[in-house]
Formats: sequence, C-alpha cells, structure tokens
Amino acid sequence: MRSVRLSPYLFIAPFLLVFAAFGVYPLIYALQLSFMRWRGAGAARWVGLDNYLYLLTSPEFWASLGNSAVMWLLIVPIQIVAGLGGAVLLANAKLKLRGLFRVAFIAPFVTPLVAMAQVWIVVFDQDYGLINYALNLVGLPDVGWLTSTVWSKPTLALLFLWKTTGFAIIILLAGLQAVPGAVYEAAALDGASRWRQFWSITVPLVRRSMAFLVVVQTLAVFQMFAEPYVVTEGGPYGSTTTAGLYLYEHITASDLGTGAANSFLLVLLVFGLSLVSVRLLRPKDEVS
Amino acid sequence: MSLSPIDRRGFLKGALGIGALAATGGALTACAPGTGPGAQPSRLAKPTVSASSAKGEITIWNRSGDLFKVFDAAIAKFREAYPGVTVNHQAVDIDAKLANTLISGTDVPDGSFWDDAKIGGQAEHLFDLTDLIAPYRDQTSPYKLSVNTVEGRIYGVPWDLDPGLLWYREDVLEQAGVDPAGLATYDDLLAAARTIKEKDPKTRPIHLEKTPFLGQLWLEMLANQQGTSLADARGELRLDSPEYRRIFGWIQDAVKDGLVTHAPYLEPADVNTLDSGQQVFVPWAIWWSFAPQQLLKATTGKWRAAPLPAWTPGGARSGAMGGSSFVIPAKAKNPELAWLLYEFLCFKEPGYTAVYGPNDVYPGGLSTSIPSYQPALDPAKPLFQPIEALGGQDLWKVAVDAAATIPAAAPIPWWWAQSVDYLGDNLQRLMDGTMSPDQVIADSSEKIQRNLIDRS
Amino acid sequence: MTQTRPGPVQYAVLVLLAIAFLYPIWWAVSSSLKPAAEIIASPLSIGELTLDNYRAMFADVPIGTGFANTALVLVVKGAMTMFFCPLAGYAFAKYAFPGKNLLFGVVLLTLMLPTLVLIIPLLLEMSALGWVNTYQALILPGSVDAFSIFWMRQTIAAIPDELIDAGRVDGAGEFGIFARVVLPVIRPGLAALAVLTTMNIYNDFVWPVVAVNDTAHQTLQVVLSTLAQNVTGNRIGADFATVWGELLAAGSIALLPLLVIFVLLQRHFINGILAGSVKG
Repeated sequence: MRSVRLSPYLFIAPFLLVFAAFGVYPLIYALQLSFMRWRGAGAARWVGLDNYLYLLTSPEFWASLGNSAVMWLLIVPIQIVAGLGGAVLLANAKLKLRGLFRVAFIAPFVTPLVAMAQVWIVVFDQDYGLINYALNLVGLPDVGWLTSTVWSKPTLALLFLWKTTGFAIIILLAGLQAVPGAVYEAAALDGASRWRQFWSITVPLVRRSMAFLVVVQTLAVFQMFAEPYVVTEGGPYGSTTTAGLYLYEHITASDLGTGAANSFLLVLLVFGLSLVSVRLLRPKDEVS
Repeated sequence: MSLSPIDRRGFLKGALGIGALAATGGALTACAPGTGPGAQPSRLAKPTVSASSAKGEITIWNRSGDLFKVFDAAIAKFREAYPGVTVNHQAVDIDAKLANTLISGTDVPDGSFWDDAKIGGQAEHLFDLTDLIAPYRDQTSPYKLSVNTVEGRIYGVPWDLDPGLLWYREDVLEQAGVDPAGLATYDDLLAAARTIKEKDPKTRPIHLEKTPFLGQLWLEMLANQQGTSLADARGELRLDSPEYRRIFGWIQDAVKDGLVTHAPYLEPADVNTLDSGQQVFVPWAIWWSFAPQQLLKATTGKWRAAPLPAWTPGGARSGAMGGSSFVIPAKAKNPELAWLLYEFLCFKEPGYTAVYGPNDVYPGGLSTSIPSYQPALDPAKPLFQPIEALGGQDLWKVAVDAAATIPAAAPIPWWWAQSVDYLGDNLQRLMDGTMSPDQVIADSSEKIQRNLIDRS
Repeated sequence: MTQTRPGPVQYAVLVLLAIAFLYPIWWAVSSSLKPAAEIIASPLSIGELTLDNYRAMFADVPIGTGFANTALVLVVKGAMTMFFCPLAGYAFAKYAFPGKNLLFGVVLLTLMLPTLVLIIPLLLEMSALGWVNTYQALILPGSVDAFSIFWMRQTIAAIPDELIDAGRVDGAGEFGIFARVVLPVIRPGLAALAVLTTMNIYNDFVWPVVAVNDTAHQTLQVVLSTLAQNVTGNRIGADFATVWGELLAAGSIALLPLLVIFVLLQRHFINGILAGSVKG
C-alpha cells in the first residue's frame, strides 16, 4: 500500500522538476514583472497595477484585440464549416483514395511556417505575385493583398486556414466516427432526409469535438504571432497587429513589465472565451 | 551586388526583438529583475604597443554579402601593417545576434559593425572610446560624432557618412528647360516639378517613399538638414517645431498638386515608374547610386546627382540618411587590438582607401557611402571613380561637397525604430492626403510620448 | 451519413480541396528547381529544371549542421516528452493524492499562457545558468509541456479502472502496471503524441532563435529564419532572386523529412487522434 501512496509522486517527479524549473519559475517571474517597470537594465520599480491600467486605457491594446477578433471571425467559423464538410466526406468508408485525401489535407499542417510564410509573401505580392498574375490573365486588376488594410487580414487568415484546417478535419472526423452507423440506419428507415440526418444526428454528436476545436483554435488565434510577424510585420497601418504581435512589440521596446501584463490580460480573455464556447457547444442533454 | 545599406527588417525589429533586451546589462546574477545598478561604462585607453609588437587574435563581426568581401580585403591590408595580429573575420547576422550576445556575455566579438541607430541605446555594453577618438575628433563629421555620443562620451568609431542628394533625370530637365543648378530651395524643386508636369502631364516627378520605415528615415534626413532630429540630446521629443512643420507642409503641397509618385523604395512599382519617365526627382541618400547601376535598365546613364535643395535660402544642402559605426563590446577579450584595426580602417589612408577605392568586388570603388573622416574627403582626390551609369559624373565630388554642410544632430533614441508605428505610419497618411501636418504632429507626438518615452 | 457510394460532386469537391491544399507546397518545391530569376519572372510555368538553388544554398548556409542539431534535439527532447508525459499523465489520471488538483490547475494555466511571455524570463534564466548557446537550452525548456500532459491524462483516464486493478491483483508493481498495462492500451494515443511532438520540435523557431547565437548550435528552423531575414533584407537589391531560390530550396528540404514521416505514420496518427478525442 505504501508504494501506491508514494508512486504517483515518483511518477510526476521528473515532469515536475522540469516543469517547475522551466515552466512555473518563469511564469512566476513573469507575474512579478507584470507589476514592475523594467526596461531590462538598471533597477526595476514596483508600479502596482500601472502596467495593467496603461494597457486597458490604450487604444492600441484594444485595436490589437479587435484585429484578433476579426481574425477569429475570419478563421474559426469557416474552419468549423469546412472541417465538418471535409470530415463528412472523408468519413465515408466507400470513398476511394481515402488515405490519399487525408494526407493531402493534413500535409500543410506539417510544413515549416517560416518557409511557407515567405511563400505567402511572394505569392500574394501586389506587383509580381502569382495571384495577381493569374487575376491579370483573366482580365482582373491587381489587388493589394498584403498592402491594403481591407485585404491584409483575409490574406493572413487564409495562411492560417491553409495550415490548420487539415487538423480540424481530423479532429472532427474523430467525432464523426464515434457515431454508430446504426443510428443513421434507423433514421434512414424513419425516412429522415440526408440534410435532416446531418442536423439532427451528426451535428449534435460532434459537438464535443467542435468544442475542443473551438477552444484550441481560439487560443491559437489570439496568440497568433509568427504569421503577421513574418508576412506583414503588423502592417499596413497596424491592420494585422494581432494581440500576440502587440504583446511582442512591448518586448521589442524593452518594456518587459507591460509585455508580461499584456500576456496575463490575454490569458484572462482566452480563458473567458473558452468557457463561453464550451458552454455554448455543450450537448444539450449533459448537465455538468 | 546589393550592398543593401540598411537591413530593413533587422533595423526595425532586432533579433526577434529580443535584441532590444540587450539593455539588460550584465547584472543577471539572480533572476530577480534589477538587482544591480547599471554597470559603469568601461573606458578604453590607448594601447601602448607599436605596430610591429602588437600581437594576438581578434574576432570581428561584419554583415554578410559583398560588404564582407570588401572588408576582408581591407583587413588583409591591416595584417600587412600589423603582422602580429590575427583577425578572425566573421560574417554574421549582426542585427539578430549582437544584442543577444551582449546580454549573455558568451562568445562576444572583439569588435562589430553596427547601425548608428542601435548604438545610443546600448552604450553601457560598449567601451567608451572618447579618449581614443580624441586625436581625430576635430576632423570627423559632426553628425557622426553626435549620433555616437551619449552623455558626452563616444561609444562608436564613426564609419560611413550617407549624405542625402537630389537624384534627377538630366535629359528630362533639359527638355523642360530646367537648370539643375537653379534648384537651390525646396520651393524651386516644386516649381521645377510643375514645369515638367506642364510639359508632360503623365509625369509625377517627385518620389515620395511608401514604406513607413524608410519614409521616416527620409524624414530624418530632411530634418537633419535643418539641424534638428526627432529627439534632442536629453531624449525629449521635438517634432512640434517649425522645421518639421516646414517639411510636412511641403509634402502636403506636392501631394495636392499631383506632383508625386508614392512608391516603395526600388520595389517593382518604383523601378517601373523610374524607368518609364514618370519619376524625375528622387531626393535620397547616396546609396541610391546603385539603382541606376543595377536596376534601372531603361534609364541608366540618364541620372545625375546634385546637392539637396535647401529649406531656407543659404541653408545646408544635405542631411544624413542612415549610417553605421564600429563598436567594441565592454566584454571584448582584446579590445586594444580591435581599436587598432578600426583606427586603421577609419583614420589611416591605406585603410579607408582599401574599402572605398577600386577593389576586386567594386572595380570602380565603393560608391554607396563616403567616409566620415574629413582628411579622406578631398574633393580633388576621389576614392571611387566617376560612374558610367551617371553619364560619367564625378559622384565623389558632389557627395563630398554636400556632406561638408551636414549639421550635427543628437544621439538616436532607443525608441526610434518603434516610433515608426506612429510617425512612420502617419507620414504615409500625410502622403495619402488623409492627414494634415498638424494632425501628424499632434497624433505622433502624443503616441510616441505615451507609448514609448513615458514607458521608459 | 448513411454509407452510400460518394457521387461525382463529392469527388470533385474533394479533388479541388486537395489541390488547394497541396498547391502551395507543390509551388514551393517546383519553384526551388527553377532558375532563380524565373521564380518571380514566370511564377506559373515550369521550363528548365536546375539544382542551382540547392548548390548555392549548400554553399551559403550550414544546413547540414542545422539538420544534425535538429535531429539531436528531436531525439533527446522527444524521448523525454514521450516518457515523462505519459508517466505524469498516468499519475494525474489514476491516482488520488494531495496537491493533485492544484498541480493540474497550474498545468492548465500554462496551457493558456502565450508562449511569448515565458521567452524573456527563460532567456534570463538561461543566461544566469550560463546555458546560452548550449544543447541544454534547446532541449530542457518545453521538454515536458502542458498540452502533452493534458492529452495523456485524457487518454489514460479513459482506461477502465478494472484493467488496472486486474494488473495489481496479478502482482505487478505500480510502474509495472504503467509499463505493461497502460502503455500498450494507449498505443494509438502515443503514436499521435509522437507525431505532434516531432512536428512541434522540428518546426519550433522562436525559442531556438533566441537561445542560440552561434552557428554550431543552430537548428534547421534557425537556419531557415536567418535565410528568410536575408530575403527581407535583400528585397531592395539584385540578390533578391538568388536568396529567394536558396530559401525555397532550404524550405523544400526542410519540409521533406516531416512529410515522409507523416505519410508513413499517418494511419497511426489519425487513429491516435480518433482514439484520444472520442474518449476525451
């Protein structure tokens, strides 16, 4: 019995050691920093809630959240719909070349972002990019994909969608395959249309996977940093300065305390959003 | 060739930005922030060794690319003069690495090339070179000294000077009957642009820069010409001034009259309109010289350089746009030897001649900047040769004469690159006609003050 | 739906989607085989094929070092993740012990925290330990991460307690139960974790760029991001096309191993995700 009491501690010990040293310690350090004014050099000053108040009263902070919110709207609903569509098609056991399609959809997920972001820059370049080249071929004018404030967000959102929708398909596929075929057969006998079957059987059953996906992608979208950093540097006119990139800009400016405070505000926000989406997507019959 | 004089990205963002952290200081004994006071600057004294007795090995960082090859050849000349010194010359992504290396204190080079704009904010990691530079001080460009001086002490060995010039199409001016020698003020330039546009309504003669970062660097050239800059020596903002108002008003007039081509520096949209004859005037630093040599296939040979017009009659005819210096990190192992190398390159004739004079990489010499040491700047003794792509013009003489008028400035504040998000963007709005000069000044000042200066 | 044979419309949709997903990769790889100047001049057509970009890239960039370092980090760090995370996940899922909820709460909190915020404190920590430019710095931080623990806890929680108690009755020690009962049962989940971990370590670039300044310790992604910076820096010059060609060549080479691993392991990966999230 003794060993049963001791073993969980032994089992988490290696994880705990590494996690404490390189996860919790920096976390506490960052929390402490968020109440300080420190430019990296010299003495740090305790400033209480000043960093938080500064952010909450900064138009730039709210603009960065607004940019991320727009990105969220451009990404998450489309990804859920497209992901579900792709998953439904792939779930069909009679589909030929299933494995091939699965590989095709998830391949972008394993590509290195640094390289693909550069591909985006060139493909969407206003003057010599592939997309405008193709538009011109069919007689359409150039579009400033990365240089106009209207198009910069959709172009970045497309990069994100391209890279991660395959992952969404797999997650939703997982949910779908948990639906026993017998349920559909029963419904078909009842004469329910395919569309009705989809709404009344498929969607409720993949709610749990959808909730998981929404939480993971909300987290990813609000922390999104590398895509705008490499592709647009946050421009034009700050239109792609996402919450993640704005946070990073405090670090570039050596305003470390504000950067830390900004992260914790983001954590609160993301946590709130996750709770809301889990609640909204929870299957109706579940109580807890 | 692409001797890109400015690494736009690196300059703007630093090493994934962590570069800015270099201000951290060596006081990282514990992880509690701010345990120690800022380190005292270390002063470097004059080495006592003679050329023949200097002995040891130094590691020197430079940017990669053609510039590296040029310095490599110049360092070979140094080795001839100082045979006991071994130079380990490395091509490094300096903007990404130097700042981080200074924080961590491991594998610090003995000397490195660095943007002037970075030096002011990093002084405490660098050797104070004031005493060493003293003998050359009176003969060094006042602008270069001022950007390398923090609280009266000098932290960089001034390297290149990048005077602003007025680049123009000689043939177009001649057809329109405009005498380039008569372009003495910016009002003259507007008048000339109007004349050209009347002759050929398709032209939009004056280049205005479309990338926020280079646009702001260009603005600083026009401000430097009037003896001012974004921040004074105490770091206080001086954007709300008659000098800046004059520049913004001029830009507004030029835009209103349809006299400008608003294009990003030498990207295809710019190159196409330069080559098509739509653009006629490009007020820009000397490093624009590589455009007619490399990029402008249709109009090469038709471009010439003149001094910039003055803002007020009789005012300075040039301002600096960009530039670099050499720094010696406080943790260098052989700082004295690094100083000997930089002294040789910057202040000794065989040194600067090896870089700017004809060499294997640039058969006619390096013509994208000039030295900042005045004895090197003899109009009659060119280091680089007349340039064919400029119709055989002696660019050296034009540049040296213009550079002699560049006024002193102030150290570039640590937040300069960050301020592009505000001033650089607003300058673009002014060029788009969506902001007035007063709005640019008020909005940029407020945001820079609140988000950058007050946060330090 | 009911498993009817998919019609031509479904196939058309799938094929179009597949093309959209694969085209950027195809474009990058095929462009890397074109003469540098033509990548921009004629982005759509493929004429002459050449290995010039690859030759230039191998001459200019230490990509071999990058591969070697990435492989080393991948093996050591990956092994740590693959052993410590299931072990801890098992403890969190199947034991009741004081402090468990608090600890797991902290794990969940760090899951939500932007990784960027830890970069500065971590860098200062590395610097204080004298670990900048070392393999420890590349390997230890992030070797056990919140997501993997969470994922493993969810997967193991789905194992019926009876199975574990049966092991105990058979006289297996606590670790024996983990090794002989738990691990075999969660094999699909482990496969998925292996693929995700490989991908994360292989593609990580923010931390390696910060933690390492010298060429000797550069990982593949650091080599790539340095090259990418050269592209941005050189955009104004004539070298642009050359650097571009090199970046596409390096990117294609970097992408290949992961793509191959994925194609080989995709069945396990997908089954693992299926197994994990059904029960989670």
